[in-house]
Amino acid sequence: MTAPPSPAAPARGPWPQVRAILVLLHVIAVVLGALPAPSGGMSRSAWRDPTVQDEFDAWRGKLAALGWSMSPEAFEEGLWTLGSELMAVRSRALRPFKHYYRHAGTTQSWRMFVAPHRYPARLFIDAHEDGAWFNIFEEGAPGPDWRQAQLEQDRFRSALFRYSWPNYSRSYGQFARWVAKEVAIDYPEADAVRLRWFKYKTLSPEDAGRGLEPEGEFIYIKTLPTVRGEPRASQAAPAADPTPEAQP
Amino acid sequence: MSRGPWARWVALLSAREAPESLALLRVLLGLCMLHAIGSVAFTGTWALIWVDASDGGYREMGDLPWLVAALGGASRAVIGGLIAAGLTAAFSLTVGLFSRLSAFALLQIGMALGDTNPHTGGSYDVLISNALWLLVLADSGASASVDARIRAMWRPSPQPVTVPAWPRYLVIGQLLTMYASTGLQKVSASWVPGGDLSALYYILQQPTWQRIDMRWAAPLFPLTQLATLGTWLFEVGAPGLLLVLWMRRTRARPGRLRALSNRLRLRDLFMVTGLAMHAGIAILMEVGPFSFVSMALYAALLHPDEARPLFDRLLRPFGRAPRGKTAQTGQD
Repeated sequence: MTAPPSPAAPARGPWPQVRAILVLLHVIAVVLGALPAPSGGMSRSAWRDPTVQDEFDAWRGKLAALGWSMSPEAFEEGLWTLGSELMAVRSRALRPFKHYYRHAGTTQSWRMFVAPHRYPARLFIDAHEDGAWFNIFEEGAPGPDWRQAQLEQDRFRSALFRYSWPNYSRSYGQFARWVAKEVAIDYPEADAVRLRWFKYKTLSPEDAGRGLEPEGEFIYIKTLPTVRGEPRASQAAPAADPTPEAQP
Repeated sequence: MSRGPWARWVALLSAREAPESLALLRVLLGLCMLHAIGSVAFTGTWALIWVDASDGGYREMGDLPWLVAALGGASRAVIGGLIAAGLTAAFSLTVGLFSRLSAFALLQIGMALGDTNPHTGGSYDVLISNALWLLVLADSGASASVDARIRAMWRPSPQPVTVPAWPRYLVIGQLLTMYASTGLQKVSASWVPGGDLSALYYILQQPTWQRIDMRWAAPLFPLTQLATLGTWLFEVGAPGLLLVLWMRRTRARPGRLRALSNRLRLRDLFMVTGLAMHAGIAILMEVGPFSFVSMALYAALLHPDEARPLFDRLLRPFGRAPRGKTAQTGQD
């Protein structure tokens, strides 16, 4: 059992007042920064993904049930306008705290699992040797395990999640070049590598219960010759991918 | 005589308490950081994700954080040095050696590494940096620490040790802000009440975050629906804990709601639910240090009188408790 609250220490000098102001500013910065916003989600190319389109359809259906029907195009355009305006307002509101967020690490970014990815993708990496392809890495599979400790470390999982989306194509290309270089070290006879994503619709509980296998297709296939010799600095411009969507 | 809101705010922030809750938070967060940095260091992942492509990494790093830029760029030597410094700072934070300085160093190193390649991070980086900043502000080394021993040797005092309580309040506020914000952003039709509540089932099927193939969860779909609703309600309703804590703090006052809240031990219920949720995430999904850091922040929900026995139990194998004399303040 705990005793009743004891009275606070008596305030002396200006410090308690100054501290109260500073803590209040911190609280305001945290709360404003944490207000919901579509940061990282404002990408037209990402919106074309079937997961996003299914989500739009679901909400359009709910609105239609409430008597507010609109075409898919009008719905999407309305969302885009709303999201853009919200981001502009947010940007202005957070501006005074910009340095505090950056230097004190008080950024608030809590967009975690905002929606399940119903059309996920798994990375496959193949090497080409003696005229034939063979698989050396399959994301999440127990078999081929080339560089698995690195590629499936939780931090790189975040990168892999992003690179299966079209708005990260530049960084995906850089990763493919790294793979071409590293495969040349581990498989000296290999003359090419292939990266591809198996994109599929997640099985519903009913279909999974029936033992069905997910159906899908390979997308974003990249085939590169292996790169031998010393690592080389690319001449390409630095990556200009969008602000990443936060994941836990 | 009743005081105005500002005077009550000033008084709340002037409160002092025994240091064990913040010390427990410091130790747990230090251990989380040792694991978080160590797992990247010892798998060799650091060279892949944080070193520039010109030196063996996979990406050409664009705008570098000030610390990495000041040290000469994202080379193997610089990144390797930052990781070694990070591990050292995490260890010294855990044992409470130069606690504030260690928290500050760890914060800056963590941000430098994380911002070098934002594609390889997530919300756990944000949670860690917020928690470390609050440890910079807090006197978390006043108990169960090398700092406390040094202080006791150099400046022995018959007075019980107390520390400002407001950093602990801010940690609670941060935890609840995170829950509320993430809950309000779960806007998928499969998350919100009125939808099919399939979100958790499908999230468990996402290969990126799986530990194992989760198709075995299909027959448990109704349970995952219940968990989806429970998670959403827990997160969106989390700020209500502030009211619960207030009613706990003012338990001597009258009021039926206050009495009911305290009788139902709603704070304990919140803690058990939240810890179970994070344990479930940690068991079923590979989401890095997120679950462990979140659970570490629950130390702030413990009153120092509750954290003290935990320390005594933890430190018993070492023969004696290096806490020194601390106060029993009795405030929530």
